[in-house]
Amino acid sequence: MAALWKGRRRWKTNNYFKVLARSLTGKYEYDYDLVVIGGGSGGLACSKEAAQLGQKVAVLDYVEPSAKGTKWGLGGTCVNVGCIPKKLMHQAALLGTAVKDAKKYGWQIPETLSHDWGTMAGAVQNYVKSLNWGHRVQLNDKKVKYLNMKGSLVDENTVKAFTKAGKETTLTAKNIVIATGGRPKCPTNIPGVEHGITSDDVFWLKNSPGKTLVVGASYVGLECAGFLTGIGLDATIMVRSVALRGFDQQMSGLVTDYMEAYGTKFAWKCVPRRIDKLPSGALQVTWTDTQTDSQHQDTYDTVLWAVGRAPETKALGLDKLGVQLNKETGKIIVGADESTSVPNIYAFGDIGEGRPELTPTAIKAGRLLARRLAGQSTQLMNYDNVPTTVFTPLEYACVGLSEEEAERRHGKDGIEVYHAFYKPLEFTVAERDASQCYLKVVCESSGNQKIVGLHFTGPNAGEVTQGFALGFQCGATYSDLLNTVGIHPTCAEEMTKVHITKRSGLDPTVTGC
Amino acid sequence: MALLMQLTHTHASRCGLRLKLFPHIRRTLIRRRSMAEDITRLDFLVIGGGSGGLAGARRAAELGAVTAVVECHKLGGTCVSKPLPHINLGSYFVHCPTAPPGHFIVSLCFINAPPVDSKIQTIQGDAKFTNNPEPTVEVNGKKYTAPHILIATGGRPSALSEEEVPGASLGITSDGFFELESLPKRSVVVGAGYIAVEMAGILSTLGSKTSLLIRQSGVLRNFDSYISTNCTKELQNSGIDLWKNSEVKSVKKTDSGLELAIATKDLEKKNDEEKISTIGQVDCLLWAIGRQPNTSGLNIGGIGLETDERGHIVVDEFQNTSRPGIYAVGDVCGKALLTPVAIAAGRKLAHRLFEGKKDSKLDYSCIPTVVFSHPPIGTVGLTEEEAIQTRGKENVKIYKTSFTPMYHAITSRKSQCIMKLVCVGKEEKVIGLHMQGLGCDEMLQGFAVAIKMGATKSDFDRTVAIHPTSSEEFVTMR
Repeated sequence: MAALWKGRRRWKTNNYFKVLARSLTGKYEYDYDLVVIGGGSGGLACSKEAAQLGQKVAVLDYVEPSAKGTKWGLGGTCVNVGCIPKKLMHQAALLGTAVKDAKKYGWQIPETLSHDWGTMAGAVQNYVKSLNWGHRVQLNDKKVKYLNMKGSLVDENTVKAFTKAGKETTLTAKNIVIATGGRPKCPTNIPGVEHGITSDDVFWLKNSPGKTLVVGASYVGLECAGFLTGIGLDATIMVRSVALRGFDQQMSGLVTDYMEAYGTKFAWKCVPRRIDKLPSGALQVTWTDTQTDSQHQDTYDTVLWAVGRAPETKALGLDKLGVQLNKETGKIIVGADESTSVPNIYAFGDIGEGRPELTPTAIKAGRLLARRLAGQSTQLMNYDNVPTTVFTPLEYACVGLSEEEAERRHGKDGIEVYHAFYKPLEFTVAERDASQCYLKVVCESSGNQKIVGLHFTGPNAGEVTQGFALGFQCGATYSDLLNTVGIHPTCAEEMTKVHITKRSGLDPTVTGC
Repeated sequence: MALLMQLTHTHASRCGLRLKLFPHIRRTLIRRRSMAEDITRLDFLVIGGGSGGLAGARRAAELGAVTAVVECHKLGGTCVSKPLPHINLGSYFVHCPTAPPGHFIVSLCFINAPPVDSKIQTIQGDAKFTNNPEPTVEVNGKKYTAPHILIATGGRPSALSEEEVPGASLGITSDGFFELESLPKRSVVVGAGYIAVEMAGILSTLGSKTSLLIRQSGVLRNFDSYISTNCTKELQNSGIDLWKNSEVKSVKKTDSGLELAIATKDLEKKNDEEKISTIGQVDCLLWAIGRQPNTSGLNIGGIGLETDERGHIVVDEFQNTSRPGIYAVGDVCGKALLTPVAIAAGRKLAHRLFEGKKDSKLDYSCIPTVVFSHPPIGTVGLTEEEAIQTRGKENVKIYKTSFTPMYHAITSRKSQCIMKLVCVGKEEKVIGLHMQGLGCDEMLQGFAVAIKMGATKSDFDRTVAIHPTSSEEFVTMR
């Protein structure tokens, strides 16, 4: 105990002298050039890049357990409770469909096919854990100091960090970067809300969630309900107003139409009122159909809240420093260079107001920020033309403007929309319905018909769209698509053959070469 | 009327003038007969109803040309009724052998057949150029002529003669492959091109014990060496019995199946010593040693068309042959043997001939193509070797990566994804992109658009990634 006290005294003395030295000499000597709070996609990319440029860097990562007690390792949302486990479970669901298709292709498959949650979840969780480990090794290799501690700001150059047990450390840094991301929100006014889980929990469940009600029709809700249906579970999505708000609504309709045909149930224009836990452990959900104003009830094994995400700023002590937040969203207001209202404090990734909540933009922004802070570059992150993919059972990828937004900006006569319903060749022998496999290219109607938005639903939408996003970035026009020879037979080639306009009113169904 | 007929006959080759003078006559008369001989006169005669022929014919008809297509088999050509759609299906599955074999093909033929009410006349039969002064084609005893004749007869698999390899005819080609009624237990595929690779992959994955015989040490020798090496490795990893530096010497029929005598060169010994081995009990020998143009029987020699040493019809960038008024597109020309190329070239030609677009031609650079191997290969532009040869090593910068796709995160079977960018000049313009891996077949198209537009490495870097995919690795290469 005495040793501990001595230690603390020594530390306090050291710190005092450092501060004294700082103020006497005017020469600042920080512990680190850069401290990054948040070890997710953005934070890790930023800290590794900075270290590679010769900076002395520390990264703090700490996971506050979810309300259900779920926690995870280094890597942030994407690695642990987002992109990675989501895509793997989506893949598991697709494989189930593929196995059924295989029968038509001559494979001798047993009549009934069943899925074991434990096998899938165990494998996914092990893979995620290997990524956690991989990140730790990488940080070590790149000489980034990793602290599994919760950080909060003391002043613009000082961070106080706590371990789970409460042990405290103080770090000083020339620059501080906040990349703490966000967490799922839960409704505040629903009795029994605590009986539900969120996306933080679903990937770490040891047992199957069973019959599930997903509340919310954002991409998180649709993707979760999608793979749950795909592995054979009874899944319902409760939608307050529209699905995929902010996305092109025609495309959103195709995605949800496919899901309905695929077996996911939808409760449109419904809002949950209360959740009661029954003695059996099942959850009784009462909801209102807002169109008829009628009340309904049903029982589920799991309720998954997917009603939005909120920024992780509570424990940061931002108000103390005067870091400005957006009053509505709670996110940090940032400049084009990711600066906040306080000099030397930067913020980027999901925590930044108005920023896309995507891993690749966080990674890129983090790397560019590191280069600027190291004085190696002045290049700012370009947040325009960001492509994205929704990994629903029928995948949807897009880059640029939705048709509605394009119409708003250019007027109905200012745009020309080329579109096509196509049938993936693989669906033919499998006798699968391809009614929602569709693409549209939204162009300016004048001049050289520059493409302002590109949308695609179909298998492998993400793989199809990356290259087109590159073309988009290069200012592709409609004729650039037509002048590229198609690759046959693929789904992607349909993008180079699209020629029916919405304006013509002609049937946009593709009928052979 | 006689005067009218005389006028139209005299000005036969000046299609445009005729169109201008007598548009109303043209609309009512589909055929005009010559005075001297019974020759049906058209605006556009297409020989070959495959991808290129049909596309050219359709576009010409849309532009007002009186058009006929001569086809000796089924409409649709190689692409529809032979390899292509089945290759892709076969990458993971195969056209179900127990279903009526022609079932799916019939519906595609129907899609490709010109609509019944269109102005395109289809003539069933073999075409042959006659000795008439004007280019004239005879089919089943009837003669046809047009100021514009398009040869789009495509190609067929090459076969070895009995003199070259005794017993060669005991094997089949890719044409015969799709008529197989059951899966061969023991297969031997001969060839190192994409067709051999795809066929061997399908047979092996479906459970046939498969050997692949190649004359040199790698498959796809005309592809970038990164792809060639990787594909050769993936074939072996997948369980295909690969015989390098080997050739079939003879094929014998026995009670238990075919017996092949194979000569393998030992490259370590500097002499030409060959080791002779045998593969027996083979129930499917598949020759995939190349394709040759379908020109025999056409009598193109008789009309003086220039051909190359392999019999392909020589054309210029506008698809003109050495004889004015006669054109050729597609596989018969021997360049970029791909359906979309034939279609595009056929259409561009129709616009040039019937819409007055003098400069309408297909740009043959940056044509993307996919090989449906396991996993698939995508490639566009120059190989590293070609880039170094044409631009100089000091001007070429290569970016490469390889990784295990996330699909394999929890499978015990693994395959790699490899990617390469070939860049030139200070601005690092991307002139070649090569990849093999899951999803590469669907990945390539968008990149091909950008590369054709002249994308540079920094354009790639400025593009935000889509996560999680394999394609994102292209825009995050260091």
